[in-house]
Order: sequence, then structure tokens, then C-alpha cells
Amino acid sequence: MADHNDPNAVNSIFSDIEVSGADLYDIFGFPSDDRDGGEKVVLALTFAAVPVAGTLDSDLLYRIRVAPDRRIVRSEDDHSLEALFRYFEGVKNKYLSALKPAEVRVTVDPGGRATVKFIGFSGGSFTQVIDTNKTVVLKSPGGHAIKVYVGGREDAFFNDLPGFFRSINYAPQFYHVPHTMPEARELPIPKTFLELEGNDLFNYNPAIPLHGRGVKLDLPPGPWAWTGNKYKKDADGNYRFVYSGQDAQAGKNINAVILEVPLAYVTPTPNDHRVVNAWGESWVRKAAHKVESIPDEPFWIERPLDFIDAIGLDDELKQYKLVDTDGQAFADAALSEREDSRQMGANNFWLAPHFVKRLAHLGWGFGPSVTALGLKCAFDHDNSPISVHRYEHSVLTAFPRVKKVLFQDMRMPDDSWNPKGLNIPLRRPVEIFIPNVNSIDMDTTGTWPFGRRLEDQVATRFLSVFLDMEAEFKGKKYHVELLNDQSLWDAAPIVPKTPPNPLKNDVPFLKAFPYLAEPHAEATGQKPPYP
Amino acid sequence: MSLAQVAAAGPAAAPATEFAGELARIEATIASSRDDALVAPTDTETVTIYLDARYRRAMLTGDLGALARLEPLIVRGIALIPHPGDLHLLRARLAFHLHRLADAARILDAVAPARACAEGEVLLADLDVQHGRWARAAARYEAIIAKGRHWGALAGLAYLHFKTGDAARADRLYAEAADELTAKEMRSYAALELQRGVLDLAHGRHADAAAHYARAARAYSGWWLVDEHMAELLAVEGDRAGAAALYERILAAVARPELHQLLGQLYVLMEWPGRARSHLVQARAGYRASIRAGGVHYYHHLADFYAEAMVDGAKAVDWARRDLALRENCSTQAALAWALLRDGRPGEAAEWMDRALASGVRDAHLFAQAAAIFAAAGLPEKSAQCRDESRAINPRLSRFHVHR
Repeated sequence: MADHNDPNAVNSIFSDIEVSGADLYDIFGFPSDDRDGGEKVVLALTFAAVPVAGTLDSDLLYRIRVAPDRRIVRSEDDHSLEALFRYFEGVKNKYLSALKPAEVRVTVDPGGRATVKFIGFSGGSFTQVIDTNKTVVLKSPGGHAIKVYVGGREDAFFNDLPGFFRSINYAPQFYHVPHTMPEARELPIPKTFLELEGNDLFNYNPAIPLHGRGVKLDLPPGPWAWTGNKYKKDADGNYRFVYSGQDAQAGKNINAVILEVPLAYVTPTPNDHRVVNAWGESWVRKAAHKVESIPDEPFWIERPLDFIDAIGLDDELKQYKLVDTDGQAFADAALSEREDSRQMGANNFWLAPHFVKRLAHLGWGFGPSVTALGLKCAFDHDNSPISVHRYEHSVLTAFPRVKKVLFQDMRMPDDSWNPKGLNIPLRRPVEIFIPNVNSIDMDTTGTWPFGRRLEDQVATRFLSVFLDMEAEFKGKKYHVELLNDQSLWDAAPIVPKTPPNPLKNDVPFLKAFPYLAEPHAEATGQKPPYP
Repeated sequence: MSLAQVAAAGPAAAPATEFAGELARIEATIASSRDDALVAPTDTETVTIYLDARYRRAMLTGDLGALARLEPLIVRGIALIPHPGDLHLLRARLAFHLHRLADAARILDAVAPARACAEGEVLLADLDVQHGRWARAAARYEAIIAKGRHWGALAGLAYLHFKTGDAARADRLYAEAADELTAKEMRSYAALELQRGVLDLAHGRHADAAAHYARAARAYSGWWLVDEHMAELLAVEGDRAGAAALYERILAAVARPELHQLLGQLYVLMEWPGRARSHLVQARAGYRASIRAGGVHYYHHLADFYAEAMVDGAKAVDWARRDLALRENCSTQAALAWALLRDGRPGEAAEWMDRALASGVRDAHLFAQAAAIFAAAGLPEKSAQCRDESRAINPRLSRFHVHR
């Protein structure tokens, strides 16, 4: 996922909310292997295929925002709460003042022609109208060749999405949850990688094998709290994994904006700016603009803050409303809880205190289940033998528990991510999720978390943030790919013996632009059974 | 052609208007629902989608009878599913729309999930408006807006400012409400444009009203409600023949009794007594049918009908009092005052009009009625003052008036 079906305004898990092209799915980004004409960065923003793959909604506007920067240099190794807030403050200052993101803006007219605007790049701004569903090479004012594809493709995301929702007891994936019951979305049951004994609401039921995979049931009467005290085990003493390893996105299509852009077009100092920060946004046209009326002036006397916000928007954007943002995989669904008001992209530093508390809440659930599997956990759960449903209401109490999760280096399995052998620091979760951007290091392969390549199993890598990267498995330190290692699951007392998510996409990726595979043949007008 | 025919026409062809398109989609949803959607075993999604589609069809087509007939089905649906909060809210909205305010309040009072969501909170504020509790309504709207800038709350607050005479602020709030709507909500946008037009019309700004109505028509084409507003504007502008033709066209698709009454009164002004009589009789029959079916929605219209169309003061007073028992606000107080005047009781009429004016309402039509009542009650100074107020608010007040 990165963040399928969020925010709630476009969360089509709810039966009465139509799937919307404003629902952003993923933003991929990595250095291109094609170095003809210099370094290039690949950016691919994917979103729901509505009306159908290859046909885009003419009421929507997409932005891929791009902010080149120097690589983060760690000035301190202080893992205190004060250091954390200094980091957040530094990010805030950078994104509010220093960085002035450029952007690629795309709209598609009802006839299927896409208007692509390159705005604010050092290589010059320009606009071109192109056909959709075709690769087009555009020339910038400075002569840079930019590849563009706007249209339908196969969904590059491969993931056991129902497994993730099972792990967080997210009811709308499994049950009909009325809108008048927002409290019945994430149910008050410990989050966990292992099924809980007696968690009949979410445990796999062989009598209804597709429950949560297209089949929804009526939500039983509450209370829904779990009252057990142990993980479920079968007769052989095996835990039951909440994940299946199956690809819920197999056979699905998306619409996408895909770019391959020379780094020299993105920044005037490509040797200095080695990191390309990118995130996507979807906007929906305001009703007033739809009827081509003159928009009303901002009501600055009554809404001064809105007026200040509006100043930052150009005339075109004032005619749209922001719906969704997408930067880091899982930043929304796991950490921002899909709230409409939390669609902030790079500006998610405002949410930093919430982020710390939410991470602690996840840690209380996932952490003990990691430990139960015999793995070392980075979250301090007081050696709890069982997952706990607990909210930390204060950053002061949450922070000590998540400190290691936030500040540990996310070790890579080998050195292949750093082909030049440069002195590039490993990424830490705090840097990965705040700001909520895809931060592509052009001196790496761009594999997550140094970007995001199509073949990355990013959902499983996300789970590894809860592992203690100082621990060892088979004589080797933990790393971001550990949970993708089949031998780990073969040795673990668990069924099914599978990595959480599939290891590769159902369709091979292309070796050349636009990299994402051709869309599947599909029936039109059908709502997918699940995201 | 009826609205159902509009929706059914041309199965392969794209609907000609947004209205027809939406209605066709609703019809398709209803048609695709299982025949036994409301027969156990069923599930929340099936029940909710089916009943919501039936509700939307009734609302869109202005079919109050269908709306009333839907309620037992909602009750049945509530009994079939484990968490019927959405259906309780739907039932409360239905009751509100049919002017069964006590029922709506009782549902919201009893079902916490229904009153706690934004739509439920807006409905609570709307109930306060209907009961004349304007300060409380405004506080509720503002609280909702502070939480999430709900367009319905902005529109509700705008209406309060409209009624209390701050037209500029009302229009700004309507515009703010519109600014919250997207291209996926064009009917709601059109409804707001109609409200802005009504606001302009109430102040004599006919051209501005026309512009808003035209924008509503562009935003959501084919909607009879837009035509109905345009017909009023035509009549007020003096194009009575044009207005009558438009009302005739609307009535061919939406046979609501209040539309028959309006057309009948228009024909009276046009001095076509035969046609006037025909439509007024149809209006009365429609009102009576609704009352016989247990409805209370038309009490207000009946008070007006017997005060203005087929004048019978005693009956006007009777219906006005019944309406007042449902909801006491400046509108129902003024209606009773007017009915009392028609019944030859100007003293009592003046007392009720004083109550209405004490609410702080500033409405040209109401001030004009007050002027007449106070004159009849031997209060010439108050009468003159109200006449001046009326003219100040709307110097182009027409004899043709639509209750909204």
C-alpha cells in the first residue's frame, strides 16, 4: 500500500464511498539506470484507476512536488527528546523557508489530453499538452529531455493489504461499519503480528476464507475489546500469522503519472544536491470552478489563516481542494490514521508529537509479538508477554519507549544499495517519516529507504522498524530485509510459513520507461472487491 | 414526462442532464439491490444502500408521499442490522423533512451515534432554527464549523444571518459554504446558488438572483427546483405568462400541491379564474391527501392557502395553530397573525405579529404583513414603521410570494 484508501474522504473501504482517482496509492522514486545524457531521477505517482485504467478524471489535478537538497549530515548523536524536537524544528524551518519545491502538475481534459506543467525547476518552467497512455519525450527550455507518461498501468504495489488491516484490527476491511460509528474503525484490540487467542473478530476463519478479502460481515455488537492473555497456537504449538504473504493487488490496475527527469533539470547544482525529495498530491476541482464562475474572494477578515494559506496558492490551485498526499509508504495508513486533516505531505512536521504517540501505540501491539517470535524488538514494551492495546497520551511517556525505534539505523542487508561505496549514513525512522517525503539519494540505487524502487517490498521493510537492528540472526545483524527472509519463517514457530507480503509483483516490471507494466485487461465500472 | 420517465428514457444514451443522470444512477442502485434487501438474512451494506437510494430518489424527485412511505421500510431495516446508526440518522432526516420535528428530535436524543456525527449535529441545529432557538442554533453551527467547516453548517448559519437582516454576511457565508464543495457535489452547489438567489430576491436584487439561478442551472442541469425558483423570479419580474408556462412544465413532472397553489394564485393575478380555480382545487386535494395520510408537512401551506388562495379565516387560523404547535418560530407566529387578520381578529393578530417581530427577524414580506395587521389593529405608527422597514429591505416587493 503506501496509503491506499486514505484519507477517509476517499476511503472506499467504506461501502458508500466511491473509489476515487483522488486516492493516491504510491510514489516511487529512484535514480534511473539509464545514464545517457546524465543522471536522471524516475518518479512515479500512482492512484486509483477511476473511471478506468487509462482514463483519468478531468476534475482532478495531480502534483508531484520536488525539492532537491543536500544529504542530511548528522551533527549530533543525541537521542534525547530535545534532540528529536530540534530535528523537527530544523525540518520545519527547511520546508517553510529554505526549500522552495518545484512541481510537475498534471490535469487531463475530458478528451483524454493531459496538460503537464513543469513549474519552478532550475531548468525552466514550461507547459505541454500530451496524449495520455503514451510515452512522450518533452524538451525543457534548456534542452533537457524529460520522459513523461500519463495513463493506465498495472499496479506496481504488491502486498497483503488484508494482512496489514488484520494486524491493526481495522474493521472496515472486514465488517460493514456505519459512518456514525467512527469509534468502530480501529477496534480496541491489541495490534499484533500474531493472532490473539479468542480474537474471533479478526482471526482467520477457515469457514470464511475470504473474510476481509472481499467478504465483509456485519459487525457484531460490542464491546469489541479483547479480554484474552495469550497468542493463539495450533496443536503443534505454532502461532498463527496475521499475514498470508498473498498479493492482494495482483491483477489490479492504477492510473499514474510517471516521469524520468534529468537531475540537471531539477537542480542547478546536481553535484551538491544529491537528494531529491518528492511527494505527490491530489486535488479536486471546486464546484464553483466547475461552472466557470468567478471564485469568490477570500474572506480574510473572518478567516485570516485561510487567507494566508491562499496567498501561497496560484490562481489554478485556488480552484481546487487538496485531498490526499503521498510521500512515505505507511506514513498515512499506519501513522496518520487516515485523517483528512492530516494530509500534509512535507508539512507533516506539525504532526510530530502525534507521530511519536502513534508509534508507541503500534509498538505496544506489534512489539510483544515480535518478541514472542524470538526476535529482538526495538520498542520497549517492558517484556510484555502479550500484545497490549494502549495509547500513550503524552509524548513524555511515549518517547522513552520509542526512542530506539526512532533513532536506530535501518541497516541494509548488504552494500548493494551504495554502489559507489560513499560515506552515506544509514537512514533512521525519524528521518524517514518526518517529513513525509520520498527522499531519493542519487548516489544509491534508490532502494527503500533511500528512495523507493518498484521491486522493493516496502510493506515488509516498514515492519522492520520495530526490529532491534543491533540484534543478530544467523550471525548477521538485523536489517530491513530480514522479514523477507524465508529461512526466518521456516525456523519460526508460526503458520503459514511465509514472509508477511509477497516478494515480487504479479507482473514483471519493464526494464525501460515507463517501467510499470501494461495494465491488465479489465471490466469497466466495477468497484474493486478490496483495495 | 414524469421524472421516472426522464430517468428511464434511452437506456443506452447518456442522460441529457445532470439531474437525469443522477436519477438514473439511483434507479440503477435500487434495481441492482436484491429484491429481498429487507428480508433476513441480509446485511448492513445491502440494507443501507437500498434505503439510502430510496430516500435520495424521493428527495430528488420531490415526492413527499414516497418519502413518507419509506419510513416503515427504514424501521424494518433498523430491526435487521446490528448497528443501525446510519439508518436512525436517515430516519431523523426524513422526519425533519416532513416537519415531524418532535420525531426527529426524539431519534437524535435516543441514538447517540446519529447525533454525534457532523450530519447529526447539523440536524440538531436545524431543529433549533425550526423551534425559533436561533442563538442556540447559531452556537451549534459555529461549533460544527470550528471542527470541520461542514458546508451544511455554513449554509445554516448563513440562513440565520439572512433572516436577521445581515444579508452581506449571509451571502459571504453561503459563498464560504460553496467554497467547501467540489466538482463531485454539484447538486449541493446548485442548492447553495438557489439560496443566494433567494437572498437577493428578498432584497429586490432581481438581476443578482437571476445570475445565481443561472449558475445553479449550469452547475446541475435539469433540476426542477431550479426551474421553480426561476418561475418565481419571472412572476416577481412581471412576466406572469412566462412564469405560468414554467410552472405548468414543472407540474407535469412534479405534482406537488404547493406548486398547484402557486400557479393558481398566479392565474388569479393574471385574471384567469378558470385555470386558477382548477389549480387551487388540485392544491387543496393534494394537501388533504397528505393530511389524510397522517402528514403534517402541509400545515403551514394550508394556513397560507386559506389566508391567501381560497380565503377562509377560521380554517387559516386552525391550520396555523396546528403548525405553531409543531414549531413556534417567527414564521409560524406571523402565519398565525395573518390568519387571525383574515379571520377578522386584528387585535390578536397584532399580538402574534409582535411576537414574531421580537425574534429579530428582518424580512420585507413579513414587515409588509405586519404593516397591514397593525393598520387594521388601529396602530398607524407601528404600521408605518413596518411599511418603511419593508420598503427599506426590498423596495420591489411583489404581490406574488413563495414560502420557503
